[in-house]
Amino acid sequence: MPAEFDIYVRRNTWVYALDPRVKLAFVVVATVIAFLWPNAGVAAAVGVVCLAFFWLAQVPAVRIVRFLRGLVPFLVMVWLLTVLFAGGPGRVWLRLGPLPITASGLTQGTLLVARLLALGLIFFLWLSTTDQAAMVRGFVALRMPYEWGLTLALALRYVPIFAGLFGQVREAQQARGLDLEQRQFWQRLRAYRPVLIAMIISALRSGERLGWALEARALGAQGVRRTVWRPLRLRRADFIALTLLTGVLIAAILLRVL
Amino acid sequence: MISPTQPAIRIDDLHYAYPSYLREGQPVKVLRGVNLTVAAGEFVALLGRVASGKSTLCMALNGLVPHATGGVFRGQVWVAGQDTRRHPISDLARTVGLVFQDPETQLTQMRVEDEIAFGPENLGLPADEMEARVAWALRAVGLEAYRDRSPLRLSGGEKQRVAIAAMLAMRPRVLVLDEPTANLDPAGKASVLGVLANLARERRIAILVATQELDRVARHADRVLVLHEGRIGMDAPPADVFAQVARLQEWGIGLPQAVELGHLLTQRTGRPYRFDDMGQAFHILCSEVRTAPQPSIPAALPAPAPVPAVPAAPQIMLEEVAFSYPDGIEALCGVNLAVRPGEFVVLLGPNGSGKTTLAKHLNGLLKPCRGRVLIDGRDTRSERVAELAHQVGYVFQNPDHQIFSATVADEIAFGPRIQNLPPDTVAQRVAAGLARFRLSPFTDLPPALLGSGQRRQVALAAVLATQPQALVLDEPTGGLDARSRQELMEAVVAFNHEQRTVILITHDMGIVTEYASRTVVLVSGRIVFDGAPQDLFERTDILQQARLAVPPVVRLARRLQPCGLPRGVLTCAEFAAAWQARLRSYGAITAAPRGEEARNDAG
Repeated sequence: MPAEFDIYVRRNTWVYALDPRVKLAFVVVATVIAFLWPNAGVAAAVGVVCLAFFWLAQVPAVRIVRFLRGLVPFLVMVWLLTVLFAGGPGRVWLRLGPLPITASGLTQGTLLVARLLALGLIFFLWLSTTDQAAMVRGFVALRMPYEWGLTLALALRYVPIFAGLFGQVREAQQARGLDLEQRQFWQRLRAYRPVLIAMIISALRSGERLGWALEARALGAQGVRRTVWRPLRLRRADFIALTLLTGVLIAAILLRVL
Repeated sequence: MISPTQPAIRIDDLHYAYPSYLREGQPVKVLRGVNLTVAAGEFVALLGRVASGKSTLCMALNGLVPHATGGVFRGQVWVAGQDTRRHPISDLARTVGLVFQDPETQLTQMRVEDEIAFGPENLGLPADEMEARVAWALRAVGLEAYRDRSPLRLSGGEKQRVAIAAMLAMRPRVLVLDEPTANLDPAGKASVLGVLANLARERRIAILVATQELDRVARHADRVLVLHEGRIGMDAPPADVFAQVARLQEWGIGLPQAVELGHLLTQRTGRPYRFDDMGQAFHILCSEVRTAPQPSIPAALPAPAPVPAVPAAPQIMLEEVAFSYPDGIEALCGVNLAVRPGEFVVLLGPNGSGKTTLAKHLNGLLKPCRGRVLIDGRDTRSERVAELAHQVGYVFQNPDHQIFSATVADEIAFGPRIQNLPPDTVAQRVAAGLARFRLSPFTDLPPALLGSGQRRQVALAAVLATQPQALVLDEPTGGLDARSRQELMEAVVAFNHEQRTVILITHDMGIVTEYASRTVVLVSGRIVFDGAPQDLFERTDILQQARLAVPPVVRLARRLQPCGLPRGVLTCAEFAAAWQARLRSYGAITAAPRGEEARNDAG
């Protein structure tokens, strides 16, 4: 039974209680800062701030570790590719056969990895602490059409569900003797074809059902202006957080420009 | 608003055919002249075989048929006076709520109360009205305390109740449910049907449930409809419908146990018995023996024919197996189990007790965190799943997860081909599978387009074609009608009779009483019971802990033990035989016993 399908974990801390628009503002500000300086240290610092917020929000450490563990192979690959192939000119540090490894290559690779790591943590923080309904309400309050908001929310929600579905289909096919533990990459890729077909069939089926279920709940009823049960209101904590975020953003831009 | 005289549902001569799946094919006729009227406050159960058109009829009531499905639609459907063809689905949603079998695809929000407010929001209701409706709907399904929970983390029964509440919040006049309990454990089934009966009685909502739950329907429903060959073949109160035993059996619908018991007793003793429920059965049978002298009756049924001598070596061994999912949830803990070839083991336990996790250890899909699993002496940790699959076949709960081929024949051939068998052997096995499940007419059709019962048959046929030594089945019969279930189980029993092992997960206690040689009960990842089904039903503590329902006939037999009925009665057939012996022992009847059950007359 894959029990953990969504990224969001509910906790009763002030980080969770913040207005979704404030959290979105944090995502924007943190992302801007991570990209403002071409400096891996700044990006790393943004990551550390995110980790601090994870701690304040009381998101279980297991989840963060698992997320990072999933991210590591990707980051290593990006780092290697940048260092090996996108080094650009500069003092050659080491020569691996025909591939020169330059100091700027190392810097570039490290910067890129640090930024990706920061981005990953920023968005993971956002998704962990904002439930999907609040997220949509936030977007809609910022004038996004409701259908877009709902589509986005459902897409976010269904990514982990489809990942779970993929796992189930893969197991079902293995149980029928399909050997997915092959050594060679191409063989393995070919072996996955039945898994993908079964998965697409299942996904289409549940997509169709979901559409029906939404219509049965009067989504898009004619001549009706959709209402919102609990409209968002900014509270004092939200205003304080927004002011702080704006201050940090202005300060960062000034520092960078001056 | 509908007037009191206006029916909640009215269907006049409805014909419907789905558009053909294949370009050159004919439309697929499903409904062939349905007529139906349902009044406000009525609780109506819709029975019928799989693929008889029950879902289609449900979907016609909220306009999904034909608005979303296309096809050829003739006749008229009114829901609370609205013609479904004139109104779009989202408009009809104010009057009629539709709940589907799978809760996963109808829950869209992250919190229970948001889920319930979603419909009212779409209707554009003001906030205070919504607040009132959310509170009301949650109370109606008994989930007041669940407001803030995530729907995804509830049990199956709770999820379905959230889905029902989400429909109720739109204040429908009509609530239609398509197999809402097929995937639920007994406690979940009881809670959902109880809620529905209340809604009809107290809130005057017309309720139509498509279901296969005969025993519960007989107890709760005001009226029973049987859909047969595209028409409403029977339409009467439960007692009258279930009185037509021969017709129901011919149509493959099955009978509630009380009715089946009455039927079998009549056959055996030549006296007329008719029970509408087990309470009535108890009174009738009790009064029958009160007037008779107490005979000496064996305290228990003679032991069933000894299981043919089995080789001592277990085929499947679990030693101190523990398993935790990566998120730290401990799913199995200290599990010891030895299964010998030829056993028929039924795995029981509430939803989420670790049954599927345990089953996935049997072919190496999951490897134990501690302890070990041996299949024919080989440790699963050092074997590939694909290798173990030759030994242990596994049929998944959802057939769609394993079906992918372009034709039914290819689907069945997949396993044998992967084992590199010669083409004529493959062809032979495909032919055998097609014949066994009567799938020959569909040989060249894509399996994904077949009905749900047939997709299950294809999935089972595909696994049997690999000729494994043991077969693991995860809830193979949920939502199947009596005959489809029997056909499926016959194939499983035939496999079992070849001295091959069956391990089956189910919530269907009928499978336990009819087929199991051994039951294993899991609660919170531990085995709390491992023994014969007769012994399980003696253990009220275990039954309660695992939230298992005792089949009505077993309960009746236990209540009648003081009247001289032997212990260990599990099925209606056993009951009827024992009762016949009971009557004969004091000369109440003289009819000769039927030959094949003579063993019960030995005492």
